[in-house]
Amino acid sequence: MDAITIQILRNKIASLVDEMHYHFYRSGYSTIIRESRDFSCVILDRTGRLIVAPPMFFHAPVYRHLVGRIRELYGDEIREGDVFVSNHPYEGGLPHVSDMAFVAPIFADGEIVGFSGSIAHKADVGGTNPGSTSANATEMYHEGVLVPPIRICEAGRHLPDVERLILANSRQPLLVRGDMTAQIAVTQMGAQRVQELCARFGAQTMCDAFAAILRGAAEELRGAIARLPEGEASAEGLIDNDGVDVNKPVKLAVTITIRDGLATFDFSKSDKQARGPINLRPSMVEACVFYSLIGSLGPRLHFNDGMRDCVKLIFAPDTVTNASAPAPVSNYQQVNLKLVDVILEAMASFNPSRANAHAGSSSALLIAWAKGRPGQSNMQYEIVGSAYGGGQGHDGASCTAAHLSNLHVTPIEILESEYPCRIRQFNLVPDSGGAGQWRGGVSFQREYELLEDAMVIRRFDKAIYPPGGVAGGANGRGGRFVVNLGKPEERETRASGRYEMKAGDRFLLQSAGGGGYGDPHGRDEARLRADVAEGYVTREAARSVYGKEV
Amino acid sequence: MANQRYRLGVDVGGTHTDLVLLDVASGELMVEKVSSTPKNPALGVLNGVMRFVARGVAPDEIAFFAHGTTITTNALLEMRGARVGLLITAGFRAIQEIQAQARDGNLFDYFYSKPEPIAPQSLTREIPERSDHAGAVLTPLDHEAVRVAARELRDAGVQSIAVCYLFSFMNPAHEEETRRIIHEEAPGVSVSLSSEVLPRLREWPRMSTTLLNAYLEPVLVRYIDHLNKGLDDAGVVTQQRFLMQSNGGVMPFAAAISGGKTVHTLFSGPAAGAQASAWLAQTDAKSGLVTLDMGGTSADIAFIEGGAPLEVTEGVIARRQIDVPALDMTTISAGGGSIASVDGAGFLVVGPQSAGADPGPACYGRGGERPTVTDADVVCGYLNPEYFLGGAQRLDVAASHAAIKKHIADPLKMDVLRAADGVRRIVDMRMADEVRVFAAKRGVDLSAFTLLPFGGAGAVHAAAVAEELNMRRILVPPRPGAFSALGLLCTDVVHDYIRSELMPLDAITPDHAEAIYRQLEARAHEEIAAEGLDPDAARFSRELDMRYTGQGYELRTPLDGIFEGALDANAMAAARARFDERHAQIHGHAAKERPVEVVSYRLRLRVAVPKYAQGLHETPASPRAVEDACKGRRTIYFDGATGSSANVYERDKLDVGVRVLGPAVVEQFDATTIIPPGWTGRVDQHRNLVLEKGAA
Repeated sequence: MDAITIQILRNKIASLVDEMHYHFYRSGYSTIIRESRDFSCVILDRTGRLIVAPPMFFHAPVYRHLVGRIRELYGDEIREGDVFVSNHPYEGGLPHVSDMAFVAPIFADGEIVGFSGSIAHKADVGGTNPGSTSANATEMYHEGVLVPPIRICEAGRHLPDVERLILANSRQPLLVRGDMTAQIAVTQMGAQRVQELCARFGAQTMCDAFAAILRGAAEELRGAIARLPEGEASAEGLIDNDGVDVNKPVKLAVTITIRDGLATFDFSKSDKQARGPINLRPSMVEACVFYSLIGSLGPRLHFNDGMRDCVKLIFAPDTVTNASAPAPVSNYQQVNLKLVDVILEAMASFNPSRANAHAGSSSALLIAWAKGRPGQSNMQYEIVGSAYGGGQGHDGASCTAAHLSNLHVTPIEILESEYPCRIRQFNLVPDSGGAGQWRGGVSFQREYELLEDAMVIRRFDKAIYPPGGVAGGANGRGGRFVVNLGKPEERETRASGRYEMKAGDRFLLQSAGGGGYGDPHGRDEARLRADVAEGYVTREAARSVYGKEV
Repeated sequence: MANQRYRLGVDVGGTHTDLVLLDVASGELMVEKVSSTPKNPALGVLNGVMRFVARGVAPDEIAFFAHGTTITTNALLEMRGARVGLLITAGFRAIQEIQAQARDGNLFDYFYSKPEPIAPQSLTREIPERSDHAGAVLTPLDHEAVRVAARELRDAGVQSIAVCYLFSFMNPAHEEETRRIIHEEAPGVSVSLSSEVLPRLREWPRMSTTLLNAYLEPVLVRYIDHLNKGLDDAGVVTQQRFLMQSNGGVMPFAAAISGGKTVHTLFSGPAAGAQASAWLAQTDAKSGLVTLDMGGTSADIAFIEGGAPLEVTEGVIARRQIDVPALDMTTISAGGGSIASVDGAGFLVVGPQSAGADPGPACYGRGGERPTVTDADVVCGYLNPEYFLGGAQRLDVAASHAAIKKHIADPLKMDVLRAADGVRRIVDMRMADEVRVFAAKRGVDLSAFTLLPFGGAGAVHAAAVAEELNMRRILVPPRPGAFSALGLLCTDVVHDYIRSELMPLDAITPDHAEAIYRQLEARAHEEIAAEGLDPDAARFSRELDMRYTGQGYELRTPLDGIFEGALDANAMAAARARFDERHAQIHGHAAKERPVEVVSYRLRLRVAVPKYAQGLHETPASPRAVEDACKGRRTIYFDGATGSSANVYERDKLDVGVRVLGPAVVEQFDATTIIPPGWTGRVDQHRNLVLEKGAA
């Protein structure tokens, strides 16, 4: 197998993944697909190993589990033209019940040479709440209808019974049907294109190239790990609460061992699995591990499943990082982001030049209006960003989506044009970035005035345990959610929750700022002066926290 | 009045400025190439003009001057724009900070930074004022606050002020009043209003586009000023002086300096070539063209369908959002100077780093040691080391060989020829893959399309790209190297106007829509009169940006041919039907039962200016035999292993009608065309070299 053919086929798979991605978001129906692009499309080898990572990286480790289970269940019965569907966090390794996967085998010369797959968030798959995701579910059954890996197409024939069963459980059957149709089409397209490549280059060449691409990534990562000092480092962090037991924090813990070119991540000391929906499946923990490892060792490393060969993960049973059914998992994303903070903190002792304070996390807002604007949807769903922590030699970026989350903001002019609301302010929060020699990113706040009655679901973390500073840096300011703004009943909440609100009510959401890195007194004076001039740091904080008159 | 004998097109590139002078009467073209002068690009342009003068061209006989420049693009890339202040609606300082919220670049790099702000928070002032989504004023404009802000920003040394209030596209009154006050308090400071630069829904793209306009307008105005004076001094008297825009049209210099239009020049660089393709290959363009402009560092790809380039209305340049109409192009880092290397995982990769023009490929002998695509071309025999730029530059074959051996062949344990062939295959397939994905994304069926290569390296790689795409026809224009400059003589004055107003289509009366278009037309008439153009020559076309309710993306729907005079109910219904059709064509499905909403009204103004028409060349009664153009033979390694002996032809000696059988090489001053085995070249009546597969 020569290096040129391998590279040509790697480029071909990358451009195919790009094409699948584009077709899906342009042809999907829901705003989740079109605006947020909350989905992934991939090509896998015959055992389900991912070849080229999709833009939505944290889906990447899921496919291995899903295809593994499909092969376990169906083995030799998998036929050309089959398409499998699943949204099951436990049987399929999906992030949460709202994410639905489709997988199609790719046949060449009568043999399976690979799989084409896609995962996409669905607008509603049933469960207790509109939109299916929940702040306080206590079982996965509250989070929607569960689909274990089953066929939705058999040998090229569509099976409408399965689709009807899924749609009968959705509050948004038309949207979900449109997205499912687009997703099946794009999954089949991926399979067909790889088949064409096999016809042209030869199936064996294709399989050899897959193997070489996987091996190449493994060797590259092994080399990077081998350059680290050997040893062991641990870190832990607390999640505010699980949304159900709102007074009890939940601990995430990791111990990293670097030895013999192998990196081991042990999560055994994490807390027991939670009652509320903040549990993770191992596929999500893997996403956090590989994201952190690549970010820390060299962001230019290309992920694929070959990298699993030099990384080992250890879990204890029934823990928040390895929950057992039927523990709920809706809020996995906030937990992912906290886990990344914790892993990066431990990684810093192996590679201090890439040390990074905790980031501000992402959070979710769902508003269901009793009465929408004429002709418009009455439900707004948005993932809200925050800020990065400071790092060695680098201030954290302000007002952005952090780490594994990377979704777009909804413009104010869209919000007010399409929904009965008014945004009264959208401002920076001075001093929200943790002080440090390298400052944490500054967060923002947005104030809503409702013009109609509405139900509001707010999911967030890092209000009670704000993003941590590192190496002497200060914490970032925690997230806030203030309801009944400007009224005698005004109050700040400290946990995810669901609220019934009236027309005229106002509320304010504020995302968490990033943690600081290093002693604030060591901050360069010119940088501090600029911070004050730009409104990121107040004069008072410059004096009291940084110890300088500006 | 002087004889209106000539028209001049000038394309300023990063290293070279290309000039094409058309003799209108004879249809003959004169070409000049001079070094660009980045510090003051007007000098390079004027040097080129003087070259023509030295060749006997009377400057007062130049009746038309059209000009493509990357002055604003380069000023942005090098951050050499004006000091900019920003006025915003009070309470909304997070908009410019959060931008799109999503990150660009490497998503694993948590040491992420946004680009430096055009206007920092410290030069941003909050102005109490507010309109709602229908344009109704909720908070009146605080005049005194504007006055104070204008003074403060003036005192802070600001040269240009951007104004972007929420919903100003629905009601521009506050922004206009703000400008009036700024002019009073800070005369001489340039003002860019978001309601003029981009009156379109979505505050961040509007603000970003307005900031870029404010940042670059003083640069462009100063440049045009220099150039105007220089042309006057050189004796060029015509005031028909035009500037290329991103939308493929030109604007008069007067429009460029009148304000608000600077952002329309940012993607103008590659637009001229695409525009030339559309115009010069009108017959071919109807069935569809893919243009491949392969230069030193990158390849620009565009599609031309139905005689017009495809367009987009959203773009990113130097990581900054800019939402003005531009030709729909994609650029990949694949050029002659792209560097090949073996990466950490042991794979052979080509680009994105480029050796550029300096030091350039190893074979240039200017100190470049890394192997490039051009080196691979040399090793495989595609390029003639003795006849690069017509022999003006000799290529060092041994240096190409050594660079590929050291950096590719030895590490990968393969022979040099195979390695060089691998570099070519990787870069050719990447270009082909990019074309294929681009075509798939636009719903374009490539099978009937023709590939049109230009730029220095386009025709060297075109056949391999076509093979990979199963395209069977390639059209190489007579002057591939000067093609972009020629494009400047092939276009009209085009201005685009837009007005956003989100409303269900059902709720819009024809009178309401007509009134909006009439307002836009009135503004267009005013502007072209001020630019010295004849308002009677104006042709308008209308479009609606529509979407299915709930969608996030709008589709431009042209209204040509569905109304006469004024819009009526039938026209509105036809617009709806046309939207469904276009949606089905591009996205593969339509939803006729779903309600549709209008997001924006677009008006395009076109004023025809004289254009180059390519001459029809008769087949000579007794064409010279193809052998007469043959100047030797060369060995080319098409498969990286076995050499094929190919005839080498001089392009200028190939008469209309002659056929050249592959394998063959056609050389000319500014380009080399490769005709592989199985392909045949034919010189058509426009002196294009048309390559076809299996047509022998």
